[in-house]
Amino acid sequence: MTTTAFRLEYLTNVGFCADQGGRGFMMPTAMAIRDDGRIFVVSRSNTTALNIVGIQMVTRDHEYFGQIGSYGREAGQMVWPTALALDKQRNLYLADESLHRITTYDNEGSLVSTWGTKGSGHGEFDGPSGILFDADDNLVVVDHRNHRVQKYTKDGKILSEWGSFGHGDGQFNLPWGITQDREGNLYIADWRNDRIQKFAPDGTFIAKYGTPGDGDGQFNRPSGVGVDSEGNIYVADRGNQRVQVLDSDGNFLTKLRGEATLNPWAQEYLEAQADEKAARAKFVPVFEVDTDDPSEVSARIEPYFWDPVAVVLDDEDRAYVLETCRHRFQIYERA
Amino acid sequence: MATTQTRTDPKLMAHLLRRAGFGATPAELDLALERGYEATLDDLLDPTAADVLPDDLIRRYHVDQSDLRGSPAAAAHWIYRMATTDSPLREKMCLFWHRVFATGATKLIQARVVTSQIDMFREHGMGSFRDLLVQLSRDPAMLMWLDNQDNHKDSINENYGREILELFSMGVGNYTEDDIKECARAFTGWRVVNPDYMSIKMRNNTARPYGYISWQFEYDDEDHDHGEKTLLGETGDFNGEDAVDIICKQQATAEFIARHLYHFFVADELPVPQWPHMPPRDPAAIEVMTKAYFESGYSIKEMLRATFTSDFFKSEASRFARIKSPAEMVVGTMRLAGGLEIPSGDTYAAASACANMGQALMAPPSVEGWQGGSEWINTGTYVERVNFVGKILNDPDRPGVRAVIDRIGRTAKGSALSPEKLVGACLEVLGPLDLLDSTHRNLVDYATKFGEVSFSDEVLSPRADEAVVALIQLIVSTQEYQMA
Repeated sequence: MTTTAFRLEYLTNVGFCADQGGRGFMMPTAMAIRDDGRIFVVSRSNTTALNIVGIQMVTRDHEYFGQIGSYGREAGQMVWPTALALDKQRNLYLADESLHRITTYDNEGSLVSTWGTKGSGHGEFDGPSGILFDADDNLVVVDHRNHRVQKYTKDGKILSEWGSFGHGDGQFNLPWGITQDREGNLYIADWRNDRIQKFAPDGTFIAKYGTPGDGDGQFNRPSGVGVDSEGNIYVADRGNQRVQVLDSDGNFLTKLRGEATLNPWAQEYLEAQADEKAARAKFVPVFEVDTDDPSEVSARIEPYFWDPVAVVLDDEDRAYVLETCRHRFQIYERA
Repeated sequence: MATTQTRTDPKLMAHLLRRAGFGATPAELDLALERGYEATLDDLLDPTAADVLPDDLIRRYHVDQSDLRGSPAAAAHWIYRMATTDSPLREKMCLFWHRVFATGATKLIQARVVTSQIDMFREHGMGSFRDLLVQLSRDPAMLMWLDNQDNHKDSINENYGREILELFSMGVGNYTEDDIKECARAFTGWRVVNPDYMSIKMRNNTARPYGYISWQFEYDDEDHDHGEKTLLGETGDFNGEDAVDIICKQQATAEFIARHLYHFFVADELPVPQWPHMPPRDPAAIEVMTKAYFESGYSIKEMLRATFTSDFFKSEASRFARIKSPAEMVVGTMRLAGGLEIPSGDTYAAASACANMGQALMAPPSVEGWQGGSEWINTGTYVERVNFVGKILNDPDRPGVRAVIDRIGRTAKGSALSPEKLVGACLEVLGPLDLLDSTHRNLVDYATKFGEVSFSDEVLSPRADEAVVALIQLIVSTQEYQMA
């Protein structure tokens, strides 16, 4: 019997540093893929480019469709966007960890509703950080500073909650991203516990994966998690500036450091900048670095992931790795 | 025979903690008095506390402080570090070197490399000046700031060669134009990786297509001029490190660094351009510091120790004799106010306030840094100072403000405080501060509107809160609070 090694191949990347607005992203923190291939990416930006805060719409074929939402506290606006999710009617949901609320846009991008109250009581939020729709089309919210998970109806009626602060099974320390497998089991990036936890759809603890560290199968502040059709678990191991893949039992399969090339948007930009293009011909993107700090390594080596915050799988098991500080996502597929 | 330890004068200790740090909270001052002057100074000079910042939290919430490309984020990040550190002298030395080796993010299009330069100051800023100067010469931000990527063996660029002599070590009048050229030749081949692409991106002021790329030092031996050079009277095939060795031996270097340290830690000196023509304010002090420099093998720490143990530093005349820089003012106030568990919008507001007061961190006005002294204060910046401090210290529920109120309450020992005593108690915990008689009288007059203030029960305490916060607001707007 032969076994085939698990391997991922780089396909392309989509993104561009949209520091003046327009096509691209600015410090994106979350993404969601709609069944028609439209991809929503939310940009958090920085204090000097608040006009770029919003949800940009693209496809993996480098089409760009503009932006939904803007920076601010009014309904439909956002301050610290953290997560995106789509319901079965193709409405788009946004979590905001500064405003402690969920905002819903319809499939045209128009505001439908906004709800949420800051607090630690039943049905209240303190920093919603990860969201998804379960098989029943209920919204599951990672309420991160309350160290718990909550389940709501789409219009914000609380159904259930579980979790508390700690490092025991089913406990959390500032959890972040969430995903589900085909059976509806939930996987949560238990960020400050440096692990992934798996739960049944009703919140019953099933398993935990990972310990603190930078070895294979270890994590440093994992922020996002995705699961493919076979149940393999993809982890945005943000503090280690890499993505790791575990099998459905949590065994280490592979890791990625990133290998982005110039995408068509970047190439078009260089075509218009003769001097940069000429210098780029001699540019050596990957070189030996003299630092051990993974974030600084990422800052120096452009093809590498820099703050890989989320991994999202599409329905063909392609993995999309969103990088906050490189304003792009890299796409990988099974070899 | 038992030895008796003399308790350090609280005013002297407060003076040390203002100059070698950012001032002390009442609790910190107590702790230092418990330790004594020498032990406190040892703690400051040899910080054992790890330099801990909750970087994971910072990067999670403030994603722009993960990237650190923009000046607002980088300055806020540094202010957070200064406002929370347990090793204040180490941070103070970062500020000191940032002033002397002034490097600005504006030209570089990125503040991250300036942050890395500050990190380097944190590591080497109190060590050997020789090591520091070598690190500075290979610092990517400095190399690009002073165009050393254009300094080639067959066509030198003199910028770095000039500034290392003029601004970073010896000062004008102690070397020749030929020395500048020879020094530049010694630094040929010192550059960053991918110099052409990085230069063009810097010139075009662009982070596109994928965000900025941080720089790394690279030495290109093929581009280094291996010919014979004569620098400051010595001849040989010098490389950059040899040049630094020669520079560090010079009496002028020791005196120049001593004068800078004196200006920063003891009393305002003349502007640097006047130094070649005017003697130091206190030549004997410079001599003490210079001696420490040579005797210790160029140790900055030993120059500082010599300073802080000297009579010229401890003398009453030197207390409150310097105007606080905006960074000292802002950080000292934030440390007093407390309540910074994770960096909040407060650190961004503080960075912006610093800039409005004339000290935009990581964006010095020129290679000569900030002169400081009386230049810090004009009508506009004074208003900015008073407004900032007033805003930070106006909330009785901020932990530091609450600690001040509670402390005054404890000193009252259950009795009500007269206006005179209340003002005295406030001045004690905020300094101790000595005010001009007229200012003091005005404060007491103001305090009479609160009558006798009692801290002893729930009904009267809110009134006490109000009175103390109001008095703090007035005290921090005095001229005396602006002085270190």
